[in-house]
Amino acid sequence: MQKVNIFKISLTAVTFLITLLLVLAIGSLFVVPSLEDIRQNIWNAEMRYSLKLSLVTGLISTVLVMLFALPVGYALSRFHFWGKGFVKTIIDMPIAFPELVLGLCLLLLFGNTPVGKLLSALGLTFVFTKKGIVAAQFFTALPYAIRIMKSTFDYINPRIEFVSRSLGYSMAETFKNISLPLAKNGILASTVISFARCIGTFGTVLILAGGSYMKTEILPITLYLNISYGNMGMALTSGIVLMVVSFIAIFIFEKTEVGL
Amino acid sequence: MMKRLLVIVVAVICFSWASVGFTGDLMIFSGAGLIKPIEEMRTKFADHHKVIVDVHYGSSGEIFAAVAAGQPCDVLIPGAEKYTEDALKNGWVGDTITKVVLHVPCIAVPKGNPANVKGFMDLVRPGVRVAIGDPKAPAIGRVARKMLKKAGIWDQATKNITVYAPTVNQLLIYVALKQVDAAIIWGDLVTWAEGKGKLEVIPIEKQYNIIKTIPTAVCTKAANRSLAHKFNEYIASDEGLRIWKKWGFEPCKK
Repeated sequence: MQKVNIFKISLTAVTFLITLLLVLAIGSLFVVPSLEDIRQNIWNAEMRYSLKLSLVTGLISTVLVMLFALPVGYALSRFHFWGKGFVKTIIDMPIAFPELVLGLCLLLLFGNTPVGKLLSALGLTFVFTKKGIVAAQFFTALPYAIRIMKSTFDYINPRIEFVSRSLGYSMAETFKNISLPLAKNGILASTVISFARCIGTFGTVLILAGGSYMKTEILPITLYLNISYGNMGMALTSGIVLMVVSFIAIFIFEKTEVGL
Repeated sequence: MMKRLLVIVVAVICFSWASVGFTGDLMIFSGAGLIKPIEEMRTKFADHHKVIVDVHYGSSGEIFAAVAAGQPCDVLIPGAEKYTEDALKNGWVGDTITKVVLHVPCIAVPKGNPANVKGFMDLVRPGVRVAIGDPKAPAIGRVARKMLKKAGIWDQATKNITVYAPTVNQLLIYVALKQVDAAIIWGDLVTWAEGKGKLEVIPIEKQYNIIKTIPTAVCTKAANRSLAHKFNEYIASDEGLRIWKKWGFEPCKK
């Protein structure tokens, strides 16, 4: 007779318990409001505005994030340079930062400083504007994207790149024709996670862009505003929309089988 | 090893169960802007009566909705009387409404007053960046819109308003960091920041100002009614009023 493994059973039990709690928590978001309520809320002007603004800013931010995550991730994975440890620490820091702190930092930087004034003169005003939403999402999502890209490049055997170099490709050509196609899954995963992170950014946007009703209102702000207004129906609906976006993102991410 | 791990797990579960399942003797819903005096009164009241008092701070709209949704609340202290009056109409609070202190709106400007704001009408001068609270969320947002409408300058003012902040605290940050030239905010909220030299306060002229009173009321569904009444009375007592004054609030004339 096989001996019952208490260790295995108890660990599995804990795993199931936590999963059950999460399922209940997520489920209650869908059970509480009525379908009619959700249907009405999704089509009202505030929700349409916020959904559209979320998608537009989220897409722009994701493209920008990836434009930076690819070279930075590759550099951190392949090259050794002076100050690399410092660079890695600084880039990773926003992951552990509360979003509100990041928002405050950006507000200070883009406010009445030479940097802020220079950017303003170039037409890049970030405080209380839609551009501010993109900036907030960009800095919140960037560290995650860089992490995924770095670990993706870490898993690609450098020998393949050496072979490519020895057969005549330059470093840049190797990156474009060999490394990038091999990193396809990682790029997809990184893009998806960045997008989900951008759509979900709250604290940074609230402080930098102000979170004004129908002005700099994105989905998490809609949720927050409607809690303050005492309008639970709208709050729950925006919660559901956000949940669906993250669910799709995680689903695609799991399919790509990339490690974080 | 296994046994010890199990003991720890069980202990953690029991402990968290106890702390989660334990609720205070009194539940207060208070406007977020009142946090400083209410916190001091909460501590004093709890010490004196040997009870545990929990306070949930939120925007007036939020705590009003929470009471409407039937969340357990013993004493309701919103930022304006409108909320307790509506609650009385709906039967959520008893006939226990006491007017406590005045809530006086004022204009806060960054130190040095960069846009040279001297009075209410300066808020519509072209180029002045103004912040107000979201008219639907904190009580100050609603009052700011009302004042601008009463003065007949709401449409002009909207051109100058760069941000409708969902929380009062944001207004303070934006003024202190010079992101706006002026913000309409409760006088009691800025007295503390003014003392620290971060900003200056410009009073709003009498003919434009709308002064609110902060009320307190006992909810009809209060679990511990006698204790709730005691707290309700304590807030408006002489000792209570001293604490309000300390934090920049002006007592109502009795």
